[in-house]
Amino acid sequence: MGKRSMWSFKFTTASLVLIPTAVGINYIGKFFASLLKLPLWLDSIGTMLSSMMAGPIVGAISGAINNIIYGLTADPISLVYAITSVAIGLTVGILAYIGWFKSWSMAVVSGLVVGLIAAIVSTPLNVIFWGGQTGNIWGDSVFAFLSAREIPIWIASFADEIIVDVPDKIATVLISYGIYKGLPRQLTSIYRNDDEIKEL
Amino acid sequence: MRTLSLYQEGDSIIHKIDPITKIIFVLITILIPIIMGTLNSAFAFLIISLTLVIIAGVIKKVLPIVGFTSIILVTVIIIQGLYYFNNRTPFFAIGTVVFYKEGLLYALEIILRIYSIINSVSLLMFTTKPSDLVEALVKKGLSPRIGYVFSSVLQIIPQMMSTVDTIIDAQRSRGMEVEGSFSRRIRAFIPLIGPAVISSLIDTKERAMALEVRAFNSRYKKTFLNEGTTFKYADVMQVSLISILIISIVLRFVH
Amino acid sequence: MFFMKIITVEHLKYKYPLSDKLALDDISFEIEQGEFIGIIGQNGAGKSTLCQALVGLVPNFYKGSYGGTVLVNGINVSKTEVSEVASHVGLVFQNPFNQITGSKLTVYEEVAFGLENLGLPVEEMKRRIDNVLNLLGLYEFRDKNPFDLSGGQMQRLAIAGIIAMQPEVIVLDEPTSQLDPQGSEEVFRVVQRLSEQGMTIVMAEHKMEKIAAYSDRVMLLHDGKLIDFDIPKKVFSREDIEEYGVITPVYTRICKNLDIKDENGFYPITIDEAHERLEKIL
Repeated sequence: MGKRSMWSFKFTTASLVLIPTAVGINYIGKFFASLLKLPLWLDSIGTMLSSMMAGPIVGAISGAINNIIYGLTADPISLVYAITSVAIGLTVGILAYIGWFKSWSMAVVSGLVVGLIAAIVSTPLNVIFWGGQTGNIWGDSVFAFLSAREIPIWIASFADEIIVDVPDKIATVLISYGIYKGLPRQLTSIYRNDDEIKEL
Repeated sequence: MRTLSLYQEGDSIIHKIDPITKIIFVLITILIPIIMGTLNSAFAFLIISLTLVIIAGVIKKVLPIVGFTSIILVTVIIIQGLYYFNNRTPFFAIGTVVFYKEGLLYALEIILRIYSIINSVSLLMFTTKPSDLVEALVKKGLSPRIGYVFSSVLQIIPQMMSTVDTIIDAQRSRGMEVEGSFSRRIRAFIPLIGPAVISSLIDTKERAMALEVRAFNSRYKKTFLNEGTTFKYADVMQVSLISILIISIVLRFVH
Repeated sequence: MFFMKIITVEHLKYKYPLSDKLALDDISFEIEQGEFIGIIGQNGAGKSTLCQALVGLVPNFYKGSYGGTVLVNGINVSKTEVSEVASHVGLVFQNPFNQITGSKLTVYEEVAFGLENLGLPVEEMKRRIDNVLNLLGLYEFRDKNPFDLSGGQMQRLAIAGIIAMQPEVIVLDEPTSQLDPQGSEEVFRVVQRLSEQGMTIVMAEHKMEKIAAYSDRVMLLHDGKLIDFDIPKKVFSREDIEEYGVITPVYTRICKNLDIKDENGFYPITIDEAHERLEKIL
């Protein structure tokens, strides 16, 4: 996260190799969340880490490939939500670039922003494909409650998604930020790919 | 050998169709029912994709995925049947709870669409070898580097997941509990995932260098060890599928 | 042809990004075609950095600050793309697992990875793959998934992937550090075979008995500096060798304790030499 423009990226081998690992980390997060029966998905830790390390574009590609692979090997409907994963990767990368990941409290705020953006992108998809639901029992209860009071579907669906997404994304951002802080600088520095070789 | 791939060997006509044609088919089964927004189109695509799944001989593999989704679809029927904003005509009642015709029809449309997406995607994933899929996309102009990402991810994920058991055992032997109160479980998450994530990220450095010394960034035009089989009717099928998509868009705007 | 210099390194200096310490500090040496060179020194001495500098990953992969020149077969590696250098000098890393590309389903296809990138015609690829699989004793595994191999087999596969690209030099950076004794032995046997075939080999390694047995010359690194570069006997006979964190071969240590030297004043470094010396004395 240096002075380089965040969009000026070359597809270095290092950033490409980060993508399959990021997807694998997403899978591991999802696996442990369900092993521990946590009421969260925690399935975008890898996407967020790749954004923090290699910028928004690599993060966005990690997100897209994550959902394509998950869609083609487990749950076809998750293909559609590749768009949400792309938005998560972009948002985290941009927030990292503008320096929002400086402290734990800023990380919480970043998590809130990421959660809101994820909800904004997912809501139309939920409405189109699921009539507004998320498949999460708590969120869908709120959706039913609001629909019963004739609240418009978009608002009910957005509320449903927020309840599901915001806590999950705050937790995921905090976990990713904690891991990112623990990474050796020799590793994170290889993604600063516009650095020139200096003469000695 | 552990791979995520769900490919099932087979010699049905569907297995012989080229990957690109199948991808286009998946796209139109997702798009056309949404564009048309009619119950008939959703129904038609479900019948078509279901028929193809049966021809391909993979229906048994598709059923668990359908079953998994059906739980959510039951809640869709209930919520839309009761509360769909257009609900006017009572259809039936259980005690004082009234289900409406409009909401139930809407739920039916959602169900048909979801099932037809599941069937068409299943068709792609059960009858296409992942390496053929990636190679076909690369030959169509996908960057070979992105192609590498797709093919390696299918093997790297199972390799990473195989370290998971080791971690669980190690943490259990240190007395960590994966059951118990919510706060205890959430505190267990970090020691479980932390070491696996950090070591896999550190590995990416050596992995990247190992690819570079094998000319991964080469400027030469890449050649392929496997020539890949060609499917005679690929062009005809692809053109027809895309025409159907265009026709549906036109129809939608004419109406 | 006989004394042809294949590697020439002059005043090589290197600093990793974000570091203020020289990882390589003014290193110069020459290596002749067909030589077997051992690199020794403690962790952090600069062995891996030097190995990576020979193929151009230092500086081109990491960036950072660089000075001096590395010429391999007449090519200035720091000014050439790594993919181009790959046809002249190959590098094998520590962890066999990380060298498997993951994008191939069989051992046979895995070897093809680099050849596809070089754009070779299919017949040429197949000829080379058959050749290296036989040379490295992997032909029987050609249809196996690379991840189903043992550590030693996987590391030999990594070597096969490099050798197939037909470099003049192969650099191995502690290729057995992650392997069990049997796997290590398999890898050493293969490296020895390549050396016998006339390939120039540069190997960083902690197992000093192997370095002593195979090397024509040994390079001793410490703190990024080249301390010594000479025949193994001479390097292992240095009185200050342990100050550089090097534990000499067990035979050398025994002979040193017994003060047994050869006619040139060096301690024996292999079991055969030690045996021969002891017999003369007894």
